[in-house]
Amino acid sequence: MRKEVVGPSQLLAMIILFELGTAVLVPIGLESGHAVWLSVLFALPGGVLLYLVFAHLYLQFPGQIISGYTRTILGPWLGWPVSLLFLPVLLYNGSRNLREAGDLLITASYDKTPILIINSIMIIAVMYILNKGIEVFARTAEIFLWIVIIMGCICILAVIAAGLVEYKNLFPLHMSDYVEALDSAYPSIWIFPFGELVCFTTILPQFSRSRKVKKTGMVAVIISGCLLSFTHAIEMAVLGENLYSRTTFPMFTTITLVNVANFVQRLDALVMLTLIIGVFFKLTVYCYAAVAVASDLFKVTDTRRLVIPAGVVMLFSSFVSAQNYSEHMNDGKAFLETILPVFCAVIPILLLLIHLVRRRFGLYR
Amino acid sequence: MNAKGLLRLIAIAVILMPLGGCWNSRELNELAVVSGIGMDLVPETDEYRVTFQLVNPTSTATSASPGSGKPGVVVVSATDKTMFGALRRASKHVTRQLFFAHTQLIVLGESLARSGINDVFDIFERSHELRLNSAILVARGSDAASVMKLLTAVESLPALGLVKKTQNTSRVWGENRTISVFDVIKGITGEGDLTINAVKINGDAEEGKKNSNLEQSETPTKTMMNGLGVFRQGKLLYWMKDSEARGTEWLLDKIEETVINIDSEYKKESIAVNVIYSRTEVRTSMEGGLPVFHVTIAEEGSVNETDSFVDLGNREEILKLERELEKQTRDEVMQAFQKAQELESDIFNFGNELKRKNPQVWATLDKDWGRLFAQGRLDLHIKGYIRSTGMSLKPYIPEGK
Repeated sequence: MRKEVVGPSQLLAMIILFELGTAVLVPIGLESGHAVWLSVLFALPGGVLLYLVFAHLYLQFPGQIISGYTRTILGPWLGWPVSLLFLPVLLYNGSRNLREAGDLLITASYDKTPILIINSIMIIAVMYILNKGIEVFARTAEIFLWIVIIMGCICILAVIAAGLVEYKNLFPLHMSDYVEALDSAYPSIWIFPFGELVCFTTILPQFSRSRKVKKTGMVAVIISGCLLSFTHAIEMAVLGENLYSRTTFPMFTTITLVNVANFVQRLDALVMLTLIIGVFFKLTVYCYAAVAVASDLFKVTDTRRLVIPAGVVMLFSSFVSAQNYSEHMNDGKAFLETILPVFCAVIPILLLLIHLVRRRFGLYR
Repeated sequence: MNAKGLLRLIAIAVILMPLGGCWNSRELNELAVVSGIGMDLVPETDEYRVTFQLVNPTSTATSASPGSGKPGVVVVSATDKTMFGALRRASKHVTRQLFFAHTQLIVLGESLARSGINDVFDIFERSHELRLNSAILVARGSDAASVMKLLTAVESLPALGLVKKTQNTSRVWGENRTISVFDVIKGITGEGDLTINAVKINGDAEEGKKNSNLEQSETPTKTMMNGLGVFRQGKLLYWMKDSEARGTEWLLDKIEETVINIDSEYKKESIAVNVIYSRTEVRTSMEGGLPVFHVTIAEEGSVNETDSFVDLGNREEILKLERELEKQTRDEVMQAFQKAQELESDIFNFGNELKRKNPQVWATLDKDWGRLFAQGRLDLHIKGYIRSTGMSLKPYIPEGK
């Protein structure tokens, strides 16, 4: 079988869609008040550095995914269990995205449809595309990036044309705002959404032009960071700090306010589509990462056989993990503060450091 | 066909079923579209009486003009402790399930407004059907239900008619502005107080319910926009009218277009200036523990009518008129400001501005803002410009009249 390859523009599209996925929809960095857009920009350099760590590790061990080089760097006895720990983290975090999408769809229009139905339709699509392979997925991302950009532009133009944007809500920035922005940027926004790029350590081995890996990824991370900051700035400018902090889905509330000349209104469908597309890509990347790690650890040659089990686990964990949305959010906060930083930042950075030390002192046999 | 093919076919059929998205489908012929909601307080209880104006689908077809045949709307009411309870309880009266995504207008009854409106808006944020951008009015001197029941000429949907009336008068007269539920929530959660457009019924409310009301060239019973209701801590306190209301809009930077009659040398209030552009900028500062509001208003207008002699071809005369325009504007703004101070009600969002620019100072003022606002000073600067005099310069009226 031919090795599947992912081109630079496809990687770019995948990273942007992955970053925007759910982060444009849910309120992020709540502690930073009206300076949330600044927090995102503050977190961006950290995100780029983190990506460079992943990319550097990949360049040192081309052809190996994270669980592969973890075992090389830490040795099989320590490396195998550490890699195994990635599996539940990836599956759970993926399922969180599924839950958020399902919950928005239910609160926004399908109020009587069970979450099982909505989530299973989404996960079926994910399992289907992973069955087709990562290359097909990458090409899909390339197409959908444009669709998302066009829809985003329509939404933003409509919001601006409706005269809803009040810059007063964003300025002025006082010293305390900068401090708060920095506070919520690290670690919370740094990890979600930037730290989640750890999933791409499993996709990078498929990348066709390894020389361009750093440049492509950096461009993608910077673009997505700016888009994210801009979107949240618009949401904040429209809703104001008070309402922004109270709504479950600020972007959705923002778009329901649009009314241009009694004619352009009710653009909710565009937001829903953006959400479904974004979550689809995020979910697929998570699912792929989990499958790749599992097949590497358990030496399964045909990775496609693991797609269905991983999907089913995600589906059930998406609605079993929390009884209601508040619990889901609380879990998410705890998860973001404790477990996720370890796997997204601490372990990769330690791996790189240990690798550099071992190579420097010739400790590889 | 072999077993595998059959299995595939079944799988496709099973997947197709949910993809239709019909799980909680609601068809148009099973919905009652709500165009307006009226909210009243049942006297001596804390129950809401909620009145729904439902679109009557057969009589709003484009061919049927208002005033012929059946009325365009049906009105039902229900009483409950909560809004949502009331709107579900209304099912006892209606054959179809109420559908709220097209609700254009919310009317608050005067008694509800007097006892406090702060608690009623949560459902507009929480519900996915009700919209935050529905317009909102407060009924002056009546309950909301009778406003909802009143049929209007020209527009077949009374709720839509009222919304259009608000928009129309806001655009050209300037005593009102379009106020949505979103604005009211911002007012409640913000630091200041708020104003809501007032609507008044002229004539007999009972007669207004009948179609016969519309069968004359002058409808005996009609609704009329009636200035602004001033709220403090969510409670209706005062009705602002005429120049007070317009002064408020001026301070809020909501004047789109308005008409001011200014004095000429020979006759009082005889020159109509159409203000076509106005910008208000607000800065705040503290002087000796009391707030000072620096307000700069820049307005542009054109002379649209003069009923006494004024030499509009002369630049000096125009300058004089500009000063006169500024004076008149200042007068209205000061009226509004003094009234608000008297009521200790910061309806101009000055508190928000102060908090935004200077959060540390605000922290010390927060508790006592109403009183401090009442002692604050308005530092008002107005620049008036007259840009054009219409299709003629000198009027035909001879000099000296």
